[in-house]
Amino acid sequence: MSLASPLALLWLAALIPVVVFYILKIRLRRVPVSTILFWRQIYDEQQPRSIWQRMRHWLSLLAQVVLILLLVLALADPFFAWETRQLRRIVLIVDNSASMNATDVSPSRLAAAKDEALRVIRGMRFRDELAIVTAGGSPRVVCGFSSHSRTLSHAIDDVVATDNPTRVIEAVELARRLLGERQDEHQREIVVLTDTAKGQARQNSNLADHSAERAPASPPPNLNFEVPDPGLQIRTRRFGTNAGNVGITQFQTRRSLIDPLGYEILVEVTNASDELVECRLEIDLNDEVVDVVPLKLTPGQRWSQSFEKTSADGGHLMAKLDRADTLAVDNRAWAVLPQREMLPVTLVTEGNLFLQKVFESNPLVTLTRIDPPGWKPPGSRIRQNAGTENSNVAFNSARSLATAATSGITVLHRHVPEVLPSGAVLVIDPRNSCEAWQLGEPIQNPIVHQQDKDSPVLGHVRLDNVVMPEARQVTFASDEGVKVLARSVAGDPLLATIERPGQKVLLLTVNLDEGDLPLRTAFPILMMNALNWCTENRGELRESLPTGAITEIDVAALRSVGQAFQPDPNAPSDVELNQTTRPAGVAGTTGQPGKADLRLVAPDGRRSALPTPSERLSLGPFDQCGVWRVVADEGDTTLLELACNLADRNESDVRVPKSDAATSASVVSTGWLGNRPVWFWLIAVAWLLMAVEWWAYQRRVIE
Amino acid sequence: MPLFDTEFLKKLEYLSLVSRRMFRGSLLAQRRTMQTGGGIEFADHREYSHGDDFRHLDWNVFARHGQLLLKRFQEEEDLHVYLLLDCSRSMAFGSPPKFDLARQIVAALAYIALADLDRVAVIAFADDIIADFPLTRGKDRILSLLKFLEGLEVQGEATDLGRVVKAFTQRPQRHGLAVVVSDLFDPQGYERGFDLLRYRNYELHAVQLHDRQEAEPSLLGELELVDIESDGGQQVTITENALKKYRTLFEDFQESLRKYGRKYGVGLTQTRCEVPFDELILKMMRASGAVG
Repeated sequence: MSLASPLALLWLAALIPVVVFYILKIRLRRVPVSTILFWRQIYDEQQPRSIWQRMRHWLSLLAQVVLILLLVLALADPFFAWETRQLRRIVLIVDNSASMNATDVSPSRLAAAKDEALRVIRGMRFRDELAIVTAGGSPRVVCGFSSHSRTLSHAIDDVVATDNPTRVIEAVELARRLLGERQDEHQREIVVLTDTAKGQARQNSNLADHSAERAPASPPPNLNFEVPDPGLQIRTRRFGTNAGNVGITQFQTRRSLIDPLGYEILVEVTNASDELVECRLEIDLNDEVVDVVPLKLTPGQRWSQSFEKTSADGGHLMAKLDRADTLAVDNRAWAVLPQREMLPVTLVTEGNLFLQKVFESNPLVTLTRIDPPGWKPPGSRIRQNAGTENSNVAFNSARSLATAATSGITVLHRHVPEVLPSGAVLVIDPRNSCEAWQLGEPIQNPIVHQQDKDSPVLGHVRLDNVVMPEARQVTFASDEGVKVLARSVAGDPLLATIERPGQKVLLLTVNLDEGDLPLRTAFPILMMNALNWCTENRGELRESLPTGAITEIDVAALRSVGQAFQPDPNAPSDVELNQTTRPAGVAGTTGQPGKADLRLVAPDGRRSALPTPSERLSLGPFDQCGVWRVVADEGDTTLLELACNLADRNESDVRVPKSDAATSASVVSTGWLGNRPVWFWLIAVAWLLMAVEWWAYQRRVIE
Repeated sequence: MPLFDTEFLKKLEYLSLVSRRMFRGSLLAQRRTMQTGGGIEFADHREYSHGDDFRHLDWNVFARHGQLLLKRFQEEEDLHVYLLLDCSRSMAFGSPPKFDLARQIVAALAYIALADLDRVAVIAFADDIIADFPLTRGKDRILSLLKFLEGLEVQGEATDLGRVVKAFTQRPQRHGLAVVVSDLFDPQGYERGFDLLRYRNYELHAVQLHDRQEAEPSLLGELELVDIESDGGQQVTITENALKKYRTLFEDFQESLRKYGRKYGVGLTQTRCEVPFDELILKMMRASGAVG
């Protein structure tokens, strides 16, 4: 045995005054009495004193000496050598993933795990250190190594349920790093409280689909976290039963490729139970039923179906199962369907039926046709005043293209002004030069030799076998912002984009009257892509995110949205700014997010402040299913909505094999000292001794 | 502060005034020295018997009724009062000391007796008779008596009442009233002395004094008790339980005194030493009917 504070032995000097005072105290006081007759009668009647009574003074002194010895020894804080050898460093992994919300274990698996965690904490030996890591979503250290039971208990109490997928393997890796690789005399332990089946690699099957949006996680070396590791003991306690569950494991939407107002819904329902399940899937849009599908799912069956629906107003799509099972969070799934906005298109042409019809056929386009003589470039005045009114130039430079696009899209057919208007401009078959390019000789029969397949303008469009006679050679005045999307064999640009501050220009040098491009299906798709490119895909769907995912948003776009709804006194009079064009996922906005702090609002109303970098902002990980909102702090204006679903087959499969549940005994372990230090027991013995001494002497048991 | 000051003497005078008949005829409800004979106060008649003095025949009754009746007269005789004062060292115990109260009581009783023209003697004793104030008569002797009492001190060893009474009764003296003023803490028992006095035809009255600490001691813990009479000691551990036993024993002792008094017609006055002597005397007189 060693002493942690040997200097405390100096307190043994207190024995001297105690013994001296005690001896002084037990010296008999002589008291004169008038007669001793009555006292003799009392004491002569009593039986001869026992050995205890004869030794009572010395026993009392002995008790007090022992009491002081115990107290001084306790102050010296003794400890045994084996205590240091058996000192443990424990990492307690609490799985607070979505499946731990299953109620097959009352009240929930997570509550049972937290109770077990508290028992582990109470079972800590003195000098043991314990850290707490959560494994729901990205592993997080909620409490570093500590021996203080109350701190650890509070940390356990603060572990909240999430809808995140299980990340036990990553959590174990984190625990390994916390424990370190040092092979010292400390015992290293990892205690895992989870519902993950033994040997099951609970990797989210959707992880690959959303890998770009998820937090980077280093791949674990072993999918089974219970692999033997010398010097490291991993004990697992599994919570759960073999209860089945039916859940929505996929719920995504996308815009229809053929209908600008249409959208498609992909739903997948998985029966993770051992029995036949009959239920009903209902899909609502803003609480109005869109579709109802009765389901009859065999054990383990995955049912999936896509639905094609139409809506211009958008809103919140919600799929729900009418079956109450052990896990409720996957019985509902959400998606955000943005509102489609009408797009004003000004067609400046002397007349082209193909061009006019291709815009008229788009239900989102409000087409205005103007003959070139009556058309005045809307942005020309700004351009002309650029040299004199610096404030206006600065304003236009700061405004994003999205803001400029709210005034609509200008389509210039053949007639090109010397100065291109600001905003989004489609130039088709130009017949004269302008400040952006010089027009050359016609190219007789150019063949598209090179096509930018990654450009959104050329999505689903193939131009390699399209005849484009009388395309014009173009020489750009500057290469800044110019991107050629299609070239001829000779290298002449046939399709190009020019992006400049406050201006987006799509140039197509093809003569529509001579070629067969208007007769191809590629033409309306190309025009649709061009419109989307000009409007920066406003109204496009943002996919539903799985829980635990991280996504990025364009802060500049959000700011522009806020500005777009403010009447701008510096705006040109001929630009209509009262049109409401919203980015993807935005339901409505009236505030000024560019000047206000942004906050992320969880489905349950929790608010968290967001940093406001200049360009892009990472959001997440989202730990709750439902619709999340990005709001401006002032006015609670919603700028962006994001749907978040569990969408995890492994999480929906909450079954824990009976063999795993049966073998996962309690992980609580205690030492023979009852997890108390030696000084605690010394104090306890001293207290007991004091009580016995008081009872025996003060209560006159020994006289 | 002197034991017998002017105030004390005033109280004595007061007590003597209110207790004219204390010893004469009704002290402690006892008829003391009733003898018929040559007195002047008529008592009653009795039948004439042969040999009676003709001078005592009531001729008037004989003339009226023809009966020979003898007239009887109450013969008055002075009373002998013996005041036995305990001077053992146990009498020095108490607050105030029992000895002071005992001397005041003796002085008061002696003054009342002397005022009634009775004869008074004071016998101081402890383990034996240690001092004597012989029989005296007349109120003018009170100062000498007080001086005698003031000169007494506690002394001797353990009280031996039997031995004292034996020595007292062997004296050639008339019987009379014997008043014992003591705490009666006699290791051999007070009964021996009392019995002897009764056997010798002394009218006995006991005044027993005790202190509050003797009746209800407040001692606790490890102590060595020292008997101030015998200097004998005893090491004891006094507990609440022992105190309870002590109080029971002391009360039994007091009760045994009362039983003895009732059984043998012995007058008994029990008092604590903090009681003023005049109150105690008045109490005794009220008990005897000497005062209303």
